[in-house]
Amino acid sequence: MNETLSQIDGSGRQESMLVAAHLSKRYEDGVLALDDLSLAVAPGEIYAMLGGNGAGKTTTINLFLNFIDPTSGQAIVDGIVTHEEPLTARQKIAYVSENVMLYTNFTALQNLDYFARLGGQNDYSKEEYRTALLRVGLQEEAHGKRLRDFSKGMRQKCGIAIAILKDAPAILLDEPTSGLDPKAGLEFISLLDDLRSEGKAILMSTHDIFRAKQIANTIGIMNEGKLVMQKTTEELRGENLEELYVNYMVSGMAVAS
Amino acid sequence: MLKLMILKELKSIISSPKFAATFGACSILILLSIFIGINEYQENVKAYDTASQLNNQRLAESLSWHGMSNQIFRKPQVMQILVSGVQNDIGRLSSVGRYEGIKLRRSSYSDDPIFAVFRFIDFAFITQVALSLLAILFTYDAINGERERGTLKLTFANAVPRAKYILAKFLGSTLGLVIPLLIPILIGILLMLLYRVPITGEDWIKISVLLLTSILFFVFFIAAGLMVSAMTRRSSTSFMILLVAWVTMVLIVPRAGVMLAGQLVTIPSVAEIESQQAAYEQSAWDAHYDKMEEARIARRQQMANMTPAEKEAFEEDNMWGWMEEEEASRKKIQGEISDHNKKLNEDHRNRRSEQERLGFSLSRFSPASAYQLACMTLANTNIMLKNSYEDALNQYRDGFLAFTSRKQEENEGTSGIRISIDSETGFSFSGSRGIESLDLSEIPRFDVPRQTLSTIANSTILDVGILLFYTIAAFALGFFAFLRYDVR
Amino acid sequence: MFKTLIEKELKEIIGSTRFAVTFGVCACLIVLAFYVGARNYQISQTRYEAAIAENFRQMEGITEWLNVNHHIYLPPNPVSSLVTGISNDIGRNIQVQGLGELRAEDSRFNNDPLFAVFRFLDLDFIFQIILSLFAILFAYNAICGEKEQGTLRLTFANGIPKDKYILGKISGSFLALALPLLIPILIGCLLLPIMGIPMSSQDWGKLALVILAGYLYFGIFLSLSVWVSGLTHRSSNAFLLLLVIWIFSVLILPRSAVLIAGRAVDVISVDEISAQKSVLNAQIWREDRDKMNEFKPSEDTEIDQIMQDFQKMMQDLSAERDQRMRELGGRLAEQRRNEQSVQERLAFSLARLSPSAAFSLAVMNLAGTSIDLKQHFLDAASAYQQSYASFMREKTGGTLKGGGMVMVFRRDGDDVTPKEIDPQEIPVFQYQPPSVATVFNASFLDFGLLALFNILFFAGAYTTFLRYDVR
Repeated sequence: MNETLSQIDGSGRQESMLVAAHLSKRYEDGVLALDDLSLAVAPGEIYAMLGGNGAGKTTTINLFLNFIDPTSGQAIVDGIVTHEEPLTARQKIAYVSENVMLYTNFTALQNLDYFARLGGQNDYSKEEYRTALLRVGLQEEAHGKRLRDFSKGMRQKCGIAIAILKDAPAILLDEPTSGLDPKAGLEFISLLDDLRSEGKAILMSTHDIFRAKQIANTIGIMNEGKLVMQKTTEELRGENLEELYVNYMVSGMAVAS
Repeated sequence: MLKLMILKELKSIISSPKFAATFGACSILILLSIFIGINEYQENVKAYDTASQLNNQRLAESLSWHGMSNQIFRKPQVMQILVSGVQNDIGRLSSVGRYEGIKLRRSSYSDDPIFAVFRFIDFAFITQVALSLLAILFTYDAINGERERGTLKLTFANAVPRAKYILAKFLGSTLGLVIPLLIPILIGILLMLLYRVPITGEDWIKISVLLLTSILFFVFFIAAGLMVSAMTRRSSTSFMILLVAWVTMVLIVPRAGVMLAGQLVTIPSVAEIESQQAAYEQSAWDAHYDKMEEARIARRQQMANMTPAEKEAFEEDNMWGWMEEEEASRKKIQGEISDHNKKLNEDHRNRRSEQERLGFSLSRFSPASAYQLACMTLANTNIMLKNSYEDALNQYRDGFLAFTSRKQEENEGTSGIRISIDSETGFSFSGSRGIESLDLSEIPRFDVPRQTLSTIANSTILDVGILLFYTIAAFALGFFAFLRYDVR
Repeated sequence: MFKTLIEKELKEIIGSTRFAVTFGVCACLIVLAFYVGARNYQISQTRYEAAIAENFRQMEGITEWLNVNHHIYLPPNPVSSLVTGISNDIGRNIQVQGLGELRAEDSRFNNDPLFAVFRFLDLDFIFQIILSLFAILFAYNAICGEKEQGTLRLTFANGIPKDKYILGKISGSFLALALPLLIPILIGCLLLPIMGIPMSSQDWGKLALVILAGYLYFGIFLSLSVWVSGLTHRSSNAFLLLLVIWIFSVLILPRSAVLIAGRAVDVISVDEISAQKSVLNAQIWREDRDKMNEFKPSEDTEIDQIMQDFQKMMQDLSAERDQRMRELGGRLAEQRRNEQSVQERLAFSLARLSPSAAFSLAVMNLAGTSIDLKQHFLDAASAYQQSYASFMREKTGGTLKGGGMVMVFRRDGDDVTPKEIDPQEIPVFQYQPPSVATVFNASFLDFGLLALFNILFFAGAYTTFLRYDVR
């Protein structure tokens, strides 16, 4: 994997926003959740992590957010090592969790306001919140409603709106499409495209192979804490990603056993 | 299928970690309360024995039969171990003597106010506070918790009748909670035997009824938990409702009911009654004296024109009649006064019992009060305790006074120490009873007022009935709510 | 950012239905407690006045000061009616004689056992239960609830320092709950003057301290709840744990502590004391009787002289008896006091492990209804006894009633209609409730403890959260 990192560095591309350098995490119970992961996401790029349950995708995101400290290696955001300066690093990250659950007693607008302020954005007007909510596809009449009456998809949209409003250079998405219906999924993809063209570096974990292939610049497949494959969409052109994925899973398991 | 579902409930209750913790805490509390009760009882018995002994000694020392004053102490009862009721609040002893009225004085709380600061722990208190909460803790999410987890949907994807399901829930939770709790209770009763508490056959009956009432109270909270759980969608909501209801029922309503009754029905204090009586007495006598004075003036006028000899003869003739007249009037006034006093006292007592009735009726809106009242009646530590003792003491006083008067007459002579100094006989001194020792066995014994089982049964039946009603109502409401419950 | 955190807590708590309901209930109960206290004061005041009037009425028509049966009464006090403490348990009525032991009779609970059945509803009780439960209900899921909601993750995906967050959390919840509670409390305070309760500035001072103690107590349960919430990862567990702690703190620990201390430390009982006294009394009487029998005046003494001699002997005997009884009484009383103070120290030290007990003791001390009330009342009564005794000595020319009574009457023919006494001449008993400074000193320890609990639980919540796994 060393080559991967040096390849990226040596390729003369723009410096990466999100970098994982030989990142490993062993939990207290001895489980090696992440094993020497290295990857990089440049501004204006989408990186999709594929993998089964327990492959290490969420651990990777937790490490970037420094919710846990790495056992070895570093997670770097915009040149900042996250476990050294977690607060500064987090200011540069917007995050959407797998199952967005906001304050159920607050309306969508109240939630947005609170989290925007926490993210350091104190000057948004109500109109801008509304615009953001409309942009993620939440109907106007839902804006003033309390979150407890929202469906999973509506909450997910709010979460995405919060991430947009934070206007951070890096975006971490944990299974962002899991609660969305096909139409909303499509809208979300085009939203990601917009964000990419704005120059955000996006790291997403997903189960959705087709979406990943459709939108990502780079796809990594993870299994049991290891990055077992990493290819750009150009490299994958013409290949059957689904078959590849299943193969890697099986071979990964074979390696493991 | 019912058996399967009941077994599932039992298993899920007993295997839950919260059961181990809360059951442990409750067991400790039950044992602690019984232990403290036994200790307190033994201490009371010891104090009672010494006090009675000293009283005998004191009686033996007394100077005259006439002025002899007996001190009667309230006797400790076995049931106070489980239900202390108001027994620490009301007086512990009363003097019985010629010059004192019966009045229970000196409650143990007024003698040792330190114990009044935080009050007592007994089995009834633990049941009311801890066990009721335990019941809620295990039933608040019985229905809606299963819905939240999705198991309700899964269950009803099978051919399970709803009535059977809710019945199984109820029976399962009841069995799963009641049976374990019987263990510490039985240990506690064993403890009473080990400490040689003299439990009579009657006490055993009372203890069993107390136990059944406690279980009924506990089951009420199980039913109430199920009911609220079947009426709400989310377990956090049902818990909140149950907690507020618990605080209201256990801590607020009983007190507020009595307080409210105290505000609505005001009863005059003893001092007020006494001054009313005195005022009436005064005015009655004043009227009497005025009348007598008028009569005297009239007589004098009659006699104004008579010669001294005629006067004397007239007086001689009429003296008896006049005296009778005066005596009759005096008697009449006395009768009126005593009637009036009696009426005032009766009014007072009626108002008091009206206040009590209202207070208890209001507080019986809470099952916790009904339970507490039932327990106190069973244990004979309710507010009747004071009245029944005072009544019994009053009766005893009559016998005692008759006895001492008889003795005094037998011994002849007046009471007290008599010292006379006379210019002829000089100085003499006498104590009338002499110093010869006194046969205590002659003195009438005080019989502790007893309530027969049937009177106790009569007075507890109301509260037990209320508890039963609440339990059935809660279960029925829960049952029908669940029949229409949206299992999604 | 700190402001944002606090604002969010305020909005979240006050906007919830849970708040609307529980706050409504709490507010009603608090106002109710004030109302009950005020009514209680009015009733006690009427009774107190009636008792005094009755006391004087009984003296009407009496011609001998020696026949006076004088009682003094513990006057009601507005703050004591709000925080009843043991004031319903101890006797309020003392019969004063020139000499002898004083004993307070007629406790309210003995006279009206109806109120003893479920106990009193006072500010102490309401605060103890309501304030703690209110804090628990809104803070049990402060941390683990946010974790369950996933908002904790989202929050810390921003550059929020944990210490700032927890500070904002606790102070935000405190403000959101404590400020609304001021409304019913102020309404309650307003109720007192409206209902015509005569509150002196001292009383207001004490009441203010009671409310302050209430807020400290509230703070304890708030930070404790946040702490427990940070120790657990599921809010249902946090709630269960807090409820168990609550039951123990409010209902179990204080009671058990006192009962256990009562068993552990033996205190000579009042019965034992009076028994020993009566034994001595009887013994002295026997001795005195012998001495009286031995009294043999010489043949030719004047009758007046004999009477004087006899009276003198009786007085000497009486003085001696008094002396010996007082000695024994003093010794036993001191023994009892010493043992009691050991018992009390143990009981209250144990009980103070519970914040509720510390709160209760603090407010009882403030209201002057702690267990010291009985002693204060008796002390005031004995001080009064002195002035009453000197008054009586003046009126009767030296003979005092008390203990055993010796009356010497002399009949020598000419009857003079005796003059009625004027009861108004009797010195007035005044019970001075302790001043704000005194009560504050007495409750200082408990205030300290309340503050300590606050600091301790806050520190616990703080350090636990710094190490809390926000995932």
